[in-house]
Amino acid sequence: MPAKEYDVLIIGSGASGGMAAHTLTQKGISCLMLDAGPLVDFPRQRVTKAVHELPYRGFGKPGRLPHVVQANEFNANQWVDETQVPYTHDPEEPYNWVRVRMIGGKSLFWARMSFRLSDYEFKAKDHDGFGDNWPIGYSDLAPYYDKVEPIFRVSGRKEGLAQLPDGVFLEDNSPYHEHVQRFMAAAKERGIPVTKIRRSLGRGQFASSFNLLLPDALATGKLTIVPNAVVREITIDKNTGLADGANFLDRQSRREMHAKARVVVLGASCLESTRILLNSGIANSSGVLGHYLHDQFYITQSVVAIVPAARGNAAPRAGFGGGGYIPRFRNLKTKEKNFIRGYAADFGAGGTPDAKYIPAYGEELQKALESYRGSAMSFTTMGEVLPRFENHARIDKNVVDAWGIPVLRFEARYTDNEFNMAKDAIDTYSEVCQAAGFEVLARSDKMHPPGYSIHELGTCRMGDNPKTSVLNKWNQSHDVKNLFVVDGSSFVTGGSQNPTLTILSLSMRASEYLAEQMRAGNL
Amino acid sequence: MKRRRFVKGLLALPAAPALVAQQQQPAPGGNQATLPGNASPQAAGESPALETALSDTAAQMMPRFFTTTQFAALRQLSGILMPPINGAPGAVEAHAPEFLDFLIGQSLPERQQLYQTGLDALNAQAKKRFDKTFAEADASEAAALLAPLREPWTPEPPADALARFLHAAKQDIRTATMNSPEWSAAGLASGGRRPGGFNQYWLPID
Repeated sequence: MPAKEYDVLIIGSGASGGMAAHTLTQKGISCLMLDAGPLVDFPRQRVTKAVHELPYRGFGKPGRLPHVVQANEFNANQWVDETQVPYTHDPEEPYNWVRVRMIGGKSLFWARMSFRLSDYEFKAKDHDGFGDNWPIGYSDLAPYYDKVEPIFRVSGRKEGLAQLPDGVFLEDNSPYHEHVQRFMAAAKERGIPVTKIRRSLGRGQFASSFNLLLPDALATGKLTIVPNAVVREITIDKNTGLADGANFLDRQSRREMHAKARVVVLGASCLESTRILLNSGIANSSGVLGHYLHDQFYITQSVVAIVPAARGNAAPRAGFGGGGYIPRFRNLKTKEKNFIRGYAADFGAGGTPDAKYIPAYGEELQKALESYRGSAMSFTTMGEVLPRFENHARIDKNVVDAWGIPVLRFEARYTDNEFNMAKDAIDTYSEVCQAAGFEVLARSDKMHPPGYSIHELGTCRMGDNPKTSVLNKWNQSHDVKNLFVVDGSSFVTGGSQNPTLTILSLSMRASEYLAEQMRAGNL
Repeated sequence: MKRRRFVKGLLALPAAPALVAQQQQPAPGGNQATLPGNASPQAAGESPALETALSDTAAQMMPRFFTTTQFAALRQLSGILMPPINGAPGAVEAHAPEFLDFLIGQSLPERQQLYQTGLDALNAQAKKRFDKTFAEADASEAAALLAPLREPWTPEPPADALARFLHAAKQDIRTATMNSPEWSAAGLASGGRRPGGFNQYWLPID
């Protein structure tokens, strides 16, 4: 059977690849999508079990998935097996690379937090002189945020904050509990805003490429999805210097295949896309491919506070719950002494603190837990990590994965800017809690290794200068003009906001541009 | 001899499909329920759903990893840190020490060392201060040895090896107890307030 040539080959089926397929197929462009993972039949793939029925009773198999802090014994099989697709790093400087390989990618499991970036990020250098600006501004991306939010059904409340632009929301009119209002009042006195969470509601059990993007793309008749296709490299036509497809292996049989297309769109996730490009030996005339790796540092339960009025079944405990979001408030109009940029936090109310925080055991511990039940507020701090050239991923030629493809080696570390930021966050949230009359039970500025937030960004960054960036402002390779990279690797700087909404919007914008270039005959 | 066995095997092969076909045929008369001893009539292609039991309901765990002295200390520690409260089984009743013996025995060397040195330190402290093993310590003696658990929590694990072990064991003993079949059964018996954690388990991806 002669191989079919597609208009566009899309590598990856998650948020970015799915949005590319959604956008391109609606414009009549034929797309082939390859994904390294299977199409999962969720009802058959998951069964309800009691924790005591699991071999390790919820502790998980010791030593399995050492880098995936998010893994537990119930969900261990949903993550990429680190023995099949390993990566390397200095043992003293670990990197947590958390991956999913199935149709829909990580968009099947994301936390759905959906925030816009602002010009505090797009034009960050203008504010503090560090690093580089994006080649685009907020006004360039805003029309695409406007179109993506209704697809993902983002709930939120318009707050009018420059650092967290409002979106096209399903209005969240839920009231704040009075205890949360006390916290908000104490925060407001210190110039700290508190907002409703902005979250993709999606449809049914998913807010994913799997259910919100790919079905519509398939319905056009213009999309072919091939699962279990592990891409080794993008191929280049020697005569034109343009990409002409990709070599891949069937995941199960390891049969080698080649797919042919006029244009290649990479949306395999930040680091897998970078790995494919590095293994292909293309798109790196700048020498920055793989560099400027950054993410957001996350500290879960960075502050755990008890609301005394909610303890011991005291009224008005009923209804104490919900949560909120504290957007960045540092270094907007003023300057901090020992760090630039800023951090955000989300908080949940109405929980019970972990037993580890209570300096007791036995019956005394149990009584304390009973008295604390439902009275806790806990904060997850999310801080901007500065994009630095020296933080990078490169190919480790000494190690290959189960398909014989060379793996990545990481060198990434946080610096005093992140550490000082974390200390300030914990001090500030603690101060606000105490001012609200809450008891601070625990506080922690201890970070996980880089990568833990699963918000890896920046290794194919965009820019106007081909000597210092991999992509132009349309997510198009400076070197190979029919190659686009539409995932989080294009970020110049990431702010403290969860990146998925921006990834989706950038992918839509790049795909519309690509479609127009194809229509005009430029590609 | 080998050849004879091989030939016998070959001769047996054609019979196998016939046997399968025979098993899939409905019983003469079409009414399987009338056959003697057939408790569960099945349609063609169905397989019976047999009831099975967890090994824990039929047998006991056999500790293998810790020494006898270490295990006795772990058992004593488990009983103190998580006693039976409000009708829920304690760690000993939930066989948490036996499960932790298995779990730590499967763990990475660093975790194994944390437990082994921690339990040895507990016994050494008990010997030094009270001239007995930790398992033999009474309530007030044990409380003195467990003083590190009354120190406030810190993000970094304590520098002292015994304190580090005690904080880890406090969490593990609690989890092993609350994730045990005994805890689940007690929860169901008390009206489902503590039925144990149920969740969606991901089967291995083919």
